[in-house]
Amino acid sequence: MRQRAIWSAVLVVGLALAGCGSASDSGKSTSSDGKLVVWDWKSGEPFAKSYLDKAKADFKKKHPDVEVEFVAQPFDQYYTLLGAAIQSGKGPDVMLFNGGGQIRDRVDALVPLDDYVAEDRQRLAGWEAFAKDGKTYAAPVTLQGYPIYYNKEIYRKAGLDPATPATTWDKFVADCAAIAKAGSKCFALGNKEGVGIQFWLSSLGSTTLTTAEYDSWIAGKRDWNSPNVKRIFQTWKEAGDKKMNSDGANSTAMFNDSFALFQSGKAAHVMGLMSDVGHWQDFNEFLTAEKLGVMKAPVVTAGTTPTLPYDGGIGYAVAKWTKDPKVAADLVRSLSSADALKAFYADAGAIAADTTIDVSQAGPAVSTLVSELKSGKPALHVALSSKTLDLMGRLSQQLLSGSVTVDEVVKQLAASDQAG
Amino acid sequence: MPIGNTQPSVRPASAGRAGGAAVTAAAHRSGARPGRNRGGLRAERYAPYILVAPAVLIIVLLRLYPLLLGVNFSFTGDGAQNGTAVGFGNYRELFADPLFQTALRNVGLLVLLLPVAVAIPGLLATFIYLRVPGHRFYRSVYFFPAVLSPVIVGAIFNLLLAFDGPLNAVLGSVGAGPVDWLGDPDVAMFMVVGVHIWATFGMALVVFLAGFATLDAALLDAARVDGATLRQVVWHVIIPALSRTIQFVFVTTMIGMLTSMFGLLYVMTSGGPEGSTYLPEFYIWKQQGQMNRPALASAASTILFMIMLVVGLLQIKLLERSGKED
Repeated sequence: MRQRAIWSAVLVVGLALAGCGSASDSGKSTSSDGKLVVWDWKSGEPFAKSYLDKAKADFKKKHPDVEVEFVAQPFDQYYTLLGAAIQSGKGPDVMLFNGGGQIRDRVDALVPLDDYVAEDRQRLAGWEAFAKDGKTYAAPVTLQGYPIYYNKEIYRKAGLDPATPATTWDKFVADCAAIAKAGSKCFALGNKEGVGIQFWLSSLGSTTLTTAEYDSWIAGKRDWNSPNVKRIFQTWKEAGDKKMNSDGANSTAMFNDSFALFQSGKAAHVMGLMSDVGHWQDFNEFLTAEKLGVMKAPVVTAGTTPTLPYDGGIGYAVAKWTKDPKVAADLVRSLSSADALKAFYADAGAIAADTTIDVSQAGPAVSTLVSELKSGKPALHVALSSKTLDLMGRLSQQLLSGSVTVDEVVKQLAASDQAG
Repeated sequence: MPIGNTQPSVRPASAGRAGGAAVTAAAHRSGARPGRNRGGLRAERYAPYILVAPAVLIIVLLRLYPLLLGVNFSFTGDGAQNGTAVGFGNYRELFADPLFQTALRNVGLLVLLLPVAVAIPGLLATFIYLRVPGHRFYRSVYFFPAVLSPVIVGAIFNLLLAFDGPLNAVLGSVGAGPVDWLGDPDVAMFMVVGVHIWATFGMALVVFLAGFATLDAALLDAARVDGATLRQVVWHVIIPALSRTIQFVFVTTMIGMLTSMFGLLYVMTSGGPEGSTYLPEFYIWKQQGQMNRPALASAASTILFMIMLVVGLLQIKLLERSGKED
């Protein structure tokens, strides 16, 4: 009798614990009939409201009975949370990704969208950043590019013509000397996170590598021992050695301390972004649109032509575990529909993936950027794996502090690039 | 045995909860005393196990089992090899990774800096105990940083230690050149540890003050009467009397340094410059969240766990030894 009581007590405890386990389990499963769950880091922001409203309305027309739930995750932990969801094979049906390494590392968990998005191919730009091995895994929402912005006011003060910035590297270095004499720094550089070198690589890539080298780099055949690839790291080191960068670059955060240096007129140039942060809309606000210029990369290797480096910035992808990939893909299409993207451009200040949007209201810098999209090419750093980028960040800090040589840098990067 | 002693309090509890009615019914029906005794003995034998069962089950199911899963996971591959066994592959990769080596070296540095981290609150607590002028004020001021979140502390010191920040401005005003406090790989780790000590020593200070409360004031008076200097009082009276408190602070400070510097690292240096401020936990976060290498991260977690285990066991040994001396 007593024994029975004891066993029932054990059973109660066991059931209680099992209950706890299953309760937390059922909370995790988000995929169900008639409902799509979307993860992103944008939907909580006020500027995204009209964009999402437009996208939802578009989706409602196609699938009136499917409910859509947007879950905004903190960006800091976004890929950590997503990693956990992928590991457990459960999670959102549709999710937002940054182009490049972040999505390529996770394509195992995604559905190829090529068959679903064929109609959008022409209208949208920036597909390459979401593709791996010939398959596309997300539809682009914004474009992310790496233009060189400059402050026309500082040019005037230094006795330079703001309408004709330098077109060759040597002239550019000479201009920087004039700017230094006038009391400003040439570059606002933040390399605390090691991101500065990524922008450098992509901004100066088209004028340092030959067209053939550039194209094979993007195609995955990277010759790290080529003198032109080394030249990119040499110019990076040169800028550091000649004190062209803002002080303490290795302890300055790019987001957003280095951009603040540029906005406050302490540095003449910054390698910035086209969308989200550190871009024309932020700079216009502080410097005014008249003072803000966008320049083409100065030619480092004779015979090269500058092109704007850009890729798909962010885009929505469909998870492998979703019930009906067709419905989820339709939601992805709605999220990059023309109306929705127009709202995104206007409210968030991003260059949207839809290049047919009229941007003439936003100032000369944006018009220059959009006009360069046609001839633009994918950015060099986006083609590298997260691991190689992380290593490059650390090596770039060592280059600035002088504790490593350019030869050693390309050797280590080549090893990392081939390994992964 | 404590179990025997707790008999009166155990029986009503277990009877009331699970088998109260059954027990009394059985006793009435049989009416035989020996039988009742045997049943009672058995219940008493099992009662303690039942009572600790919830705690044990929670520890086993929510702590040990996930721990074993994690260790098991560290022997599998990442990415394309997800789920397949790779033996010690992850561990080999870890020990070949210069970044992980830096992280382990930094753990060694923390161990070396541990006496400093313990001595600072110890000394300050001594001064407060000896009632230096303004000791009440200092007691609250010293504790104040302990209530700030590491992120806030990191942000404050980011501003103070920036290249164009106030500290370099002060250095400049006395004619010294600026130092890139958080951008120089030889300096940055010391700055982060320094800030961590600044932010957390208040807690250790409180523990020391609690230890002082148990100190026999007669000993101090006797030392003073004998004409001992302050240094002699600290060395020959206070430190021996507080040896257990000091050891406790050593344990907690070490654990704090190894497991709760992530926030500061994240805000102040992001592991840089040049990867010089990596600690194992930051490495784990980076591999799992940024590099999409969860299995490698588990291997690093397992190693961190082993380090903590060794440190913890050593310190428990120390505590036991001092307990015996008392």
